[in-house]
Amino acid sequence: MCMSEEDRHFSAELAVIGTGLAGFAASIFALKRNIKTAQVGNTGAVAYTTGYLDLLGSLAPDYLASIEDPWQGIEQLRDSHPRHPLCRIPKDDIFTAFEQFTSFLGKCGIAYTPPGEFNVSGLTPAGTLKPTLCVPATMQVGSAAFSQKEPCVIIDFKGLKGFSSRQVVANLKDRWPKLSSKRVEFPDMVSGEIYPEVMARSLEVPATREKLAKILASAAGDVKVIGLPAILGMHAPDLVREELEQLTGLQIFEIPTMPPSVPGIRLREMFEQLFPQKGVTLIPQQKVDRLVFIENGAQLSLNDSFGPISIHAKSVILATGRFLSGGLKAGVDGVSEPLLKLPVTQPDSRREWYREKYTDRRGHAVNSAGIEVDSSFRPLDNHGRPYSKNLFAAGVILAHQDWIRGRCGAGVAIATAYKAVEEVEKLLK
Amino acid sequence: MTEKTIPTLNFKEKAEELLPEGASFEACLTCGLCSSGCPASGIENMDPRKFIRMAMLGMDKELSTSKWIWACTQCKRCQHVCPMSIDISQLVFLARSNWPREKKPAGIVRSCQLIQSTDSTSAMGLPPEDFVFVVQDVLEEVREQQPKFKNMQAPMDKKGAHFFVNQNSREPMSEPDEMVPLWKIFDIVGANWTYSSKAWAAENFCMFSGNEEAWREVIKKRVDAVNELGCEVWLNTECGHSYYTMWNGINRFGMKADFKLESLVTYYARWIREGKLPVNSDWNRKNITFTVQDPCMIVRKAYGESIAEDMRFVTKSLVGEENFIDMQPNRSANYCCGGGGGFLQAGMTEHRRTYGKRKFDQIAATGASYVLTPCHNCHSQIEDIGHHYRGSYGVVHFWTLICLSLGILGENERTYLGPDLLECI
Amino acid sequence: MTQKQKRQTVETDVLIIGGGVTGAGIMRDLAFRGLQTLLIDRKDLCAGASGGNHGLLHSGSRYISSDLHSAIECREESTILKHVASQCIEETGGLFVAVEGDDPGFAENFAALCQPAGIACNPISIDDAKKLEPLLSDKLFKAYKVPDATVDPFRLALLNVAHARMINSSSFRPHTELLHFTLKDGKIESATCRDNQTNSILTIYANQYVNACGAWAMNIAQLAGCKDVNLLYSKGTLLVSHDRLTTHVVNRLRPPGDGDILVPGGTVSVLGTTSIRVDDLITVKPTVAEIDINVREGTAMIPALAKARYIRAFSGVRPLLQSAGGSDDREATRGFALLDHSTQNLSNFCTITGGKLTTYRLMAEKTSDLVAGRLNNSEPCQTHVTPLPDEESCKWTEPGASPKYWYKANDPEDMILCECEMVPQSAIDEIVKDAPGAEKEMTLKAIALRSRAGKGPCQGSFCGIRIASYLYDQGHYHDKTGLIHMRDFFNERFKGTRTVTWGLQAAQMELAEALHCGLLGLDNLENN
Repeated sequence: MCMSEEDRHFSAELAVIGTGLAGFAASIFALKRNIKTAQVGNTGAVAYTTGYLDLLGSLAPDYLASIEDPWQGIEQLRDSHPRHPLCRIPKDDIFTAFEQFTSFLGKCGIAYTPPGEFNVSGLTPAGTLKPTLCVPATMQVGSAAFSQKEPCVIIDFKGLKGFSSRQVVANLKDRWPKLSSKRVEFPDMVSGEIYPEVMARSLEVPATREKLAKILASAAGDVKVIGLPAILGMHAPDLVREELEQLTGLQIFEIPTMPPSVPGIRLREMFEQLFPQKGVTLIPQQKVDRLVFIENGAQLSLNDSFGPISIHAKSVILATGRFLSGGLKAGVDGVSEPLLKLPVTQPDSRREWYREKYTDRRGHAVNSAGIEVDSSFRPLDNHGRPYSKNLFAAGVILAHQDWIRGRCGAGVAIATAYKAVEEVEKLLK
Repeated sequence: MTEKTIPTLNFKEKAEELLPEGASFEACLTCGLCSSGCPASGIENMDPRKFIRMAMLGMDKELSTSKWIWACTQCKRCQHVCPMSIDISQLVFLARSNWPREKKPAGIVRSCQLIQSTDSTSAMGLPPEDFVFVVQDVLEEVREQQPKFKNMQAPMDKKGAHFFVNQNSREPMSEPDEMVPLWKIFDIVGANWTYSSKAWAAENFCMFSGNEEAWREVIKKRVDAVNELGCEVWLNTECGHSYYTMWNGINRFGMKADFKLESLVTYYARWIREGKLPVNSDWNRKNITFTVQDPCMIVRKAYGESIAEDMRFVTKSLVGEENFIDMQPNRSANYCCGGGGGFLQAGMTEHRRTYGKRKFDQIAATGASYVLTPCHNCHSQIEDIGHHYRGSYGVVHFWTLICLSLGILGENERTYLGPDLLECI
Repeated sequence: MTQKQKRQTVETDVLIIGGGVTGAGIMRDLAFRGLQTLLIDRKDLCAGASGGNHGLLHSGSRYISSDLHSAIECREESTILKHVASQCIEETGGLFVAVEGDDPGFAENFAALCQPAGIACNPISIDDAKKLEPLLSDKLFKAYKVPDATVDPFRLALLNVAHARMINSSSFRPHTELLHFTLKDGKIESATCRDNQTNSILTIYANQYVNACGAWAMNIAQLAGCKDVNLLYSKGTLLVSHDRLTTHVVNRLRPPGDGDILVPGGTVSVLGTTSIRVDDLITVKPTVAEIDINVREGTAMIPALAKARYIRAFSGVRPLLQSAGGSDDREATRGFALLDHSTQNLSNFCTITGGKLTTYRLMAEKTSDLVAGRLNNSEPCQTHVTPLPDEESCKWTEPGASPKYWYKANDPEDMILCECEMVPQSAIDEIVKDAPGAEKEMTLKAIALRSRAGKGPCQGSFCGIRIASYLYDQGHYHDKTGLIHMRDFFNERFKGTRTVTWGLQAAQMELAEALHCGLLGLDNLENN
């Protein structure tokens, strides 16, 4: 090597491996407890988040219906599926975790409704509804307008693929008769295709808001509530929405879109920008190559384009996610956990991974595969003992939960991260 | 004369060769995050996701001949947002290098030819002796007219100096007084620095023109020049791609460099922290607001967050924390402005300005009066799109503001200051 | 049924049951002879073996050891088709390769075996073979070149139907299921069918009835009271790789076995196949075991197959006439059988079954000769000399073609809806307007069949959403059934992906399911 390779060393009390919802939640809780934290991960998949924070929307094993009361749902799960991660955490803690998480996001400019007693109906771009616990403030009016069945216009944009206001209206009309649709053109867009991201960023400019406000007001006609695809700003969505509402005199909400979607990108950018400012050592573009547990801690090794980086941490939270983010690997012969080779609870063979029908309500067995943890969320080794007293795990890498069918992705991520950090704090004392 | 055609590359094969396993084209989930976050999306009806799919669908002829590769500045933002970390820019570079010289955008080719035409490695073709002359001439004038700097140095070919400093050709060619602020800074901190008459220039359009051999040649000349003078640190001026082409080139071509590569930004921050550069924001009585552009070549593609932090530390020290408004997104997630990749020389003005709209919106959203940037190409592009989209901001280099803050900005060094800044002097 | 069922009656010269390439081919052949036909299928075109095969236009060399007659037929027919259906064919050429462990005797004799069949089979050196196909194993010891080619059966079926439509307004009705025949005086008087999409009843009166149902021929024949169709079923499972691995068809030089052939499919490669006796046609689907066998065997020829990303697997059923005996279904004759049912007291019914994609035209010719003869029509066959004309709405199934059209047109307003295969809005417009089988509310499945939408790495998980939204925009969908079409489409694609979901495809699946179920709730639709 001709130019100096820079060897960088960091030390921390906690190393969070994973930059998804669970990883970021863990850092938030660690910050609150003044735990010196380093966080590493190959960020990307968090950008797919819809923005909704689901605690629990449907019950295993049949996932037959949307549930209205997730807290009661968790109680039911305790009887039927005691190994579900949500069942291993006291409800009060789950509530506190959601409160802290959403309040943090709110302080960072992405306000959320606080966790309540019941699920809310979130709108989707297909015109279906999904049960969720916390809704971004930018989407809140939509859920409210739906429950009040207020007259509302869903507006879409020429050139935006995958979001059709006619589709939304066609599928909600029977339950929401006063819903109608309109198409407009976004100001200053060159012909052809437009992305929500581009529109959202453009709305951070006051002049664009003014232009769009006129267009929206005209499209709304006499109606006082309008719904848009999620484009209400990227960095300051609450501000953008408020200003547009002021300019138009309307109530405005947004609906999540298919990827590449704005709410996920908002979170990613916010986490990546703010965490270092708040004192987290964040390395968001790299995967950990090696993780070794030593006396009273762990050594993480990774590399970037300048050379090797090593982190020494007293504790580690493994929050590396599933197949999409690389926390689990699906091989021809089975599912494995690539970083530590932790044993993965899974169906006996690949034949049993997937049911016959994709939309079989019961979901697919491979989606409940994952690593086992004890009651303090320490991953277990092949002998059923904690792999290391310094290692914890959080998020959807855990077994016994199907975050997609159960509509509990955020719930599992946030609640288990909370618990894991609590255990880390105990360990550090 | 026979019309040269562009040979057809096999992009699928090349992607497999060039990109790491698991992060190559076959890993693409077609999610569109890259296209969504790329300012070149829509230009020539193309975008990064289409590039990947066209490669996999065997549209080699189309990819080989598409003009989009000259609109993609190879900023690597696509890789940054991609969950699979697929780096399309490497294939774009390959595509550029595959075009016959006659078909490449003439402006970029010419710049590379000029670089190769003298030992200066200057894209404006300024030969070493002329450079030496201009430096000497300006130095004398400053010494005469600015008593505080009557003993200031602008060393040339000083063997064993600690810092080897490069210089963008624009200043000596068209605005030589703009070289002076940096000299003053060196003078104040007591830096042991030198220019070199050989291979003094910073810019490197040979990489942009896809001419690998010429790129290598230029880097070799520059590395040799530093080695010859025995300087410990090659200190990169406020130019983005000069750092990247040097750093990446040294690795790529396996060259031996007995010196460290550093950016001026790093040293500004260090000198301010050490108190050697006693800047403060007292001059900013009117609370003029500033934002900062993260040059892709220095931040996302090279140093990453640490230099982005240094840049902001310097900025806040200079203008006052409350007068600094970060653009969004920023740091490694910032958008390329469209000044890099040779876009300014490519003669594709309409495309370049379309590309730059996102940057304009970013700046407009901050409401800032000035953009600070340690990069010549960013500087030019951001100015141009400001005029084109009827913005009302100015663009300044760091050295200008540092000298303004210290109250030592000479009369001829104020070209880029608007009336509001001028009033602060 | 409380709702009154809509009823309709149609008359035609010939009713053809079974929308595979054979049925489509008969339709065209008869149209040339001035006979109007109605083609029906209870699903859509190519729903059986025609849509579940390798896409191989056999040079015939594969059958020289087991079935010389079929080999010769393949040689003759593939030559004809290369002339009359050139737009459906890619003349890739083929290789036969033997690797360490394969029978050297068989390998040596191969060219000699091909000779009596008149198949051009030329030995090539190992070096040359590897130059032609760099991915071939280092353990290669023998190689031959043969004139194999690949064919797009979807386009073939579409163009045959479209041409018949053009000649004499013959028509095709999808999702039309035969319920029963009404027999009278040794003839079929009518066929009663149900439209499974509208649930209406269609009674068809024709002079002749043709059973071109391939593997389902026995079921249909039985409905006509015929006991002379006895079929065995052999399932074959194949997998599709993310991208094209070889230029040529690559065959294993050994007696036919599993995982023997890797066939280019335009922009992908298709690896197969297996041969498993099945007893019914309902539970035919790829199994994990078959996938693994194919990959293992294929890897011996082309090691890169072990690490390749696969995006889909599918199964097809070969109908085998029971006269064959023998334990290995591959040994059974691959020839076709045309039954005139003269022993079954029916004078206007015939069944064509067995055979293979490569010989479809010959099968159609023979059937048409029989049918025309029974109608005292002595017009000659023209399908062996008259090329298939192109049709705008039928050009979208060709791999890699749609992006080229789109790129050339360079119209930013014509947005791409399927990003993987780069299928633009205009393709959807054309298909919905004019493709054979186009109708007032086309399902996503039907649109996808007539294009490349959903055939790329995301297997429709993104484009299904974009296309559905577009169809809502256009007013083509206007209520909840649009969502049902989306769900059905994703369910259909899933059948193909569920056995090959490992590695990168697992990441793709997770994202798809998060989108379809997590966000859109398609698993919760009322009639799931």
